Amino acid sequence: MTSTFIDALGLVFTFDVMLAIFLSAVYGLLVGSLPGLSATMATALLVPVTFYLSPIAAVSTIITASAMAIFSGDIPGCLLRIPGTPASAAYTDEAFAMTRKGQPELALGICLWFSALGGIAGTLSLIVMAPLLAEFALSFSTFEYFWLALLGLMCATVVARSSPVKAIAAMLLGLLVACVGIENPGGVPRFTFGFIDLLGGIEVVPALVGCFAVAEVMRAMTVAEPPNVGYRKFGSILAGQWKLTKEYPKQQTRGNIVGIIIGVLPGAGADMAAWVSYAISKRFSKTPEKFGTGHPEGLIEAGASNNASMASGWVPSLLFGIPGDTITAIAIGVLYMKGLNPGPTLFTEKASSMYALYIVFMLGNIIMIPLGLIMIRLATNILRVKRYLIMPVIVLLCAVGSFATGNNLFLVLTVAFFGVLGFIMEKYGFPVAALVLGIVMGNMLEQHFVTSLIKSDGSILPFFSRPVSAVLATMTIGLLIWPVLYWIYKKVQRPKLAH
Amino acid sequence: MRDRSDLLGGGLIAALGLAAFWGGSSLPPVPGQNVGPNVFPAVIGIGLVLCGLAIIFGIGDSFEEPPKIVVSTDGRESEDVHAVTPVRFVLLRTAVPPLLLIFYALTVDRLGFIPVAAIMIFISCIALGGPIKRALMLGAIAPIFVHLIFAKLLRVPLPHGLLPMPW
Repeated sequence: MTSTFIDALGLVFTFDVMLAIFLSAVYGLLVGSLPGLSATMATALLVPVTFYLSPIAAVSTIITASAMAIFSGDIPGCLLRIPGTPASAAYTDEAFAMTRKGQPELALGICLWFSALGGIAGTLSLIVMAPLLAEFALSFSTFEYFWLALLGLMCATVVARSSPVKAIAAMLLGLLVACVGIENPGGVPRFTFGFIDLLGGIEVVPALVGCFAVAEVMRAMTVAEPPNVGYRKFGSILAGQWKLTKEYPKQQTRGNIVGIIIGVLPGAGADMAAWVSYAISKRFSKTPEKFGTGHPEGLIEAGASNNASMASGWVPSLLFGIPGDTITAIAIGVLYMKGLNPGPTLFTEKASSMYALYIVFMLGNIIMIPLGLIMIRLATNILRVKRYLIMPVIVLLCAVGSFATGNNLFLVLTVAFFGVLGFIMEKYGFPVAALVLGIVMGNMLEQHFVTSLIKSDGSILPFFSRPVSAVLATMTIGLLIWPVLYWIYKKVQRPKLAH
Repeated sequence: MRDRSDLLGGGLIAALGLAAFWGGSSLPPVPGQNVGPNVFPAVIGIGLVLCGLAIIFGIGDSFEEPPKIVVSTDGRESEDVHAVTPVRFVLLRTAVPPLLLIFYALTVDRLGFIPVAAIMIFISCIALGGPIKRALMLGAIAPIFVHLIFAKLLRVPLPHGLLPMPW
């Protein structure tokens, strides 16, 4: 154990890893703070770069950039009432209300301080939980993996905050996209329509970049330039934070725990954690009427929650290869690419790499405080940069970045296609995250499904008869049919009300 | 009454589901097994058909949140945006990013990275409402930086074309 830990320290404290962490932290802070550029987009555009890094450096960039982006998404939310990332949307109004009361430094300080603490709490949960669950997961067979993957996908549809039917449709569409290519149980070309470029299947990274970056630029085209933020001098940012930490210990702890739980659920990520925690905070507050008027309570709880979920979201990703959210979906791709294949054995065979990741998580959340302070001080300058100077570069990066993942121009066309698809889907209420998770998990789901069917000789009985799979199956099917049940319930209720 | 777009979307999804079911189940199974590459698309196809029908019949509509308008017009920070001017040529502008990507894929091998990138930057900058002077400047500078990062540092083989870079 000690020797593994020392090995891990040796893996992390090298020049290239340190540089990667620092640069990706700055990158994450910048991208997260710009409205319209989400944490997922920041991570997706980073993937081509990770190709050229050592395994630990590659994963470190993803961890650091995403954590930073989630925090700095709070900055424009607080100053402009435009959330920088979806994860900050839950408490944007609250933070902006504090700014209008003349306490922007307090609001931003809360976001920074409790984000960092939440991130550390999430990391601790990852350190404690992952090895325990790994032992349990060793007894899983393809049946359990199949249900677990499907459950993850179903969770993603529930948290999408849109019509669950549309979310399921989007998810199935993603699975269908994953069917394309020759990588299937029979090794035959499937849905390739004679195109050689489709034989290898649809690459995940271009699809992601298209859905999250190109579609975002397309949306930016439809609305006018967002408002400018005035120059502003901030007072001390961290001054009141220790007092708040002592004043609201319950809110903070509850936020952390809820964030951790939601993070561990496959498919549910930081945005969901923030929404749920803000709602819980309001529900159990002694002064719920103050919420929305610039009251720190909800801000503390939700800010603590979304960053805690960031780290614990890695638990299902590392253990089962099932992403906790879209960011870890990208991270899983990077893990495979770097030979750190997710699975319970990762914790025994590559223990030093695991410890290294824990250390990176800790480091990332610690350097978040000084870098975040600098970022807040510079924020009014950065937010003045015009959109028309940033978005064009993003378009170019989409082209070059996706090309770099396979040195193939067909990938650039894939990006364009998924940009259009993502834009249209989002416009009509189909959640893009569900589509992307479907694409990411399609092959894995099919592999477990078909292997299980072959094992059981075509019978679906073993999918339900094994104890763990029975539980997972019940949960999954429940999530699958509840919109229909709710609809029927409503139909039955309505005639009764008429009487 | 259902949204027309939902009827169309649901119909499209159901049709896609049928196609997936039909296309999937016509694939041969793994020799010696009764399952293979055919099962998964068929199952997805059925699911899509059901979803398409559910959307047409409006199941799950009640969960949709009314769209939130995020851009605020109140507060002293944003007084200058009171009139959120409607953007002209929305459809054309929206099509700019994907069209530029297609343009890149088709021409970069012949024209080279720098000219194509400059054109992309220039056009998208104009489409976002940037002034021509700024667009020209950005188009001249940004491609060189991107080239430096990707071609020099990350060794991505970007085509030289008409305007090779000295590195």
